[in-house]
Amino acid sequence: MTMKKILPGLLCSMLFAGMSVMSTQAEEIEECTITFAYWGSGAEQAAIEASLETFQEAYPQITVNAMHIPEEDFLVKINSMIAAGEPLDISYSASWKCQFGEEGLIYNFYDLAENDPDLAPENYLDTCWWMWSETESAGPIMANVTPSLMYNADIISEAGIEVPTTTEEAWSWDEFVEIAQQLTLDAEGRNAADPDFDPNNIVQYGVMFAPSWNTYMPFVYSNGGGYLSEDGTEFGLCEDAAAEVLQNFADLINVYHVAPTSIASNSMPAAASAIASGQAAFYLDGSWNHLDLAEAECSWGVGVLPISENYTTYLDGGSLIIYKSTEHLDATLALYKWITDPESSEEITEMFRTIWMPVQKEYYEDAEKLEFWASEEFPARPEGFQEACVDATLENLTVATEINVKNFNEIDTLVSSALDEVFSGSKTAKDAMEQVKTSVDPLVEGTYNGERS
Amino acid sequence: MPSKALSKKRQRKENVWGFLFCLPCILGFIFFAFLPMCISLYYSFTDYNIISKCNFVGLANYQNLFGGTDPYFYKSLLVTALYVALSVPSSLIVAFLLAMLLNTNVKGKGIFRTIFYLPSIVPVVGMSAVWLWVFNSDFGLVNMLLKSVGLPAVQWLSSETMVIPTLVITNLWTIGSTMVIFLAGLQDVPRQLLEAVEIDGGGGFKKLFHVIIPMMTPTIFYNLVMGIINGFQVFTQAYVITQGGPNNASLFYVYYLYREAFEFMRMGSACSIAWVLFLIIMLLTGIMFKLQKKWVYYGGE
Repeated sequence: MTMKKILPGLLCSMLFAGMSVMSTQAEEIEECTITFAYWGSGAEQAAIEASLETFQEAYPQITVNAMHIPEEDFLVKINSMIAAGEPLDISYSASWKCQFGEEGLIYNFYDLAENDPDLAPENYLDTCWWMWSETESAGPIMANVTPSLMYNADIISEAGIEVPTTTEEAWSWDEFVEIAQQLTLDAEGRNAADPDFDPNNIVQYGVMFAPSWNTYMPFVYSNGGGYLSEDGTEFGLCEDAAAEVLQNFADLINVYHVAPTSIASNSMPAAASAIASGQAAFYLDGSWNHLDLAEAECSWGVGVLPISENYTTYLDGGSLIIYKSTEHLDATLALYKWITDPESSEEITEMFRTIWMPVQKEYYEDAEKLEFWASEEFPARPEGFQEACVDATLENLTVATEINVKNFNEIDTLVSSALDEVFSGSKTAKDAMEQVKTSVDPLVEGTYNGERS
Repeated sequence: MPSKALSKKRQRKENVWGFLFCLPCILGFIFFAFLPMCISLYYSFTDYNIISKCNFVGLANYQNLFGGTDPYFYKSLLVTALYVALSVPSSLIVAFLLAMLLNTNVKGKGIFRTIFYLPSIVPVVGMSAVWLWVFNSDFGLVNMLLKSVGLPAVQWLSSETMVIPTLVITNLWTIGSTMVIFLAGLQDVPRQLLEAVEIDGGGGFKKLFHVIIPMMTPTIFYNLVMGIINGFQVFTQAYVITQGGPNNASLFYVYYLYREAFEFMRMGSACSIAWVLFLIIMLLTGIMFKLQKKWVYYGGE
């Protein structure tokens, strides 16, 4: 045999060998195009786009038509796509997904899991399920975030303070307020505990907090209260245990002058800029800020929430929903697994090391897998992260309010307006919540898991 | 007889051509305005939410609004009316004064006219984001200035009483087009009338109140009507700056409509809200046109 004859044969066999490696998982999937809609910051968009490139290399027969839609316009766009009958296979989703589920527009995740061992429900954390009825789920959270106490490490160490990272050592609220007072400074350098302190000229705030349910609900749960009443038939934030917590937050602004007075959610500087610029010593918000903090290249850290008794918190996040209108379920599921698997691609891994936390149990139970995404070597995982954000959270989990309370979006719109009056100091928490109760009660329909939230 | 028939035929032919030339406009109106309006009127009597079956519910949507079941309806009407009551006169007066200034014969008036018109072409969202920071009560520019001269800080956007006046102030930034219309009107004020006042020994104020303003009433009327219509439809500032807060004190009507439609997915109810606004604006415009006979001067009459 001459070389001329061998070469093409060799080349061919090499080509086939290469193809068979590439298509081991993907061989049953036919050539198709699927539409994927998502939202997210610039960093998230870049990560998703790059990751979809690698996905399409791994599954050359699938073309992903990715649509990045700003979160505020997301539902509008999805609704109009559905109304116009445009194809849509998989998308990010917020609490409106439950209505989609009830209307039969999306797949029940449990049905999908029955035919696919990769999606077995027992692989996922128990509190992460978005349900629309007792047996039907819009899927587990796709990537977790959690309420987080963040701080400027320079300010803290200069004051000689150590921020606890375990629940046993967690500060009580009163201790936290005292520390916040010490760290709030006016233009003359006096702190908020000083009798001559000038609250009109504050240059450094002890604490800033996002005035949303995500910030205050861990404190409400820990204090024995709830968003709804014990039996789930009435509004619960007007009860003493909850109202006390809301009043505590308002007192940070109006009594202790350790937090800024702009209560509009838009007018508060974001955690990264407030901490990096030294405007705030502490910031109470969500763990999604960790990426921006890492990129701000300031010296920062995380601690446990200042809850000394009955520490309760949650993991929260959207879920990827799969539309029943999809004609390519296999391809869509392949994409689903790709995005939710922390190890699917470099870009997705990076997201799980900065802004997201995994939902699969193994990434918490297996020490090696935990290190894979939560190693404190990573810039967005500061010292104490594993104790404060992983252990303290995982051992004290409840279902996030947003996921569990039915009709949450509409109820919370009413509640956050009423809270404006509390944070501005024009009403006590008890009064404002009791007043809004009459509008909220007709909307209360209990919780999805039947337990109190 | 034949010539008459000929001209009739010609007339008909001209009509056809005229109609054809108008057709794009007529079709646009029918398909993009008239039909959607009819459909929206129909939906306002249903519980349409895009994703599920649409049921006819009669007047229920309107009853919810006027009966007080909807906690936002009256509040948003009140807030929007207050905004219109403050923003329309203030923007008319400021735009008129600016137009007067820009109508004087100074060097580089072209540049000044451009500068004062410029803010109108800045996208409202970008502008709103800047105002958000200018009026931030803790870190904002305005409060910094107030504090530096020893004045107390003001809760511009965080106080229920101040939020509407603050938004009215930000609105003054966008009066460029009103100003240009006034400027055009001012240039049409007959010279001879102004000279007549001068000859009679009248000063600037006499000219303003006895010639300029009376001659300008049609322009003022036009800007007033447009101001009211646009004022009731204000949306972006609430959407970007305040999100209706604090405590719904800036829940503008159209923002409330948007929320009902696109956050709570109640299209039927949102359509009824839109129709109520349509009727309100129509009623107010009707009243304006009735009242104009008393104060608007048209040269030809």
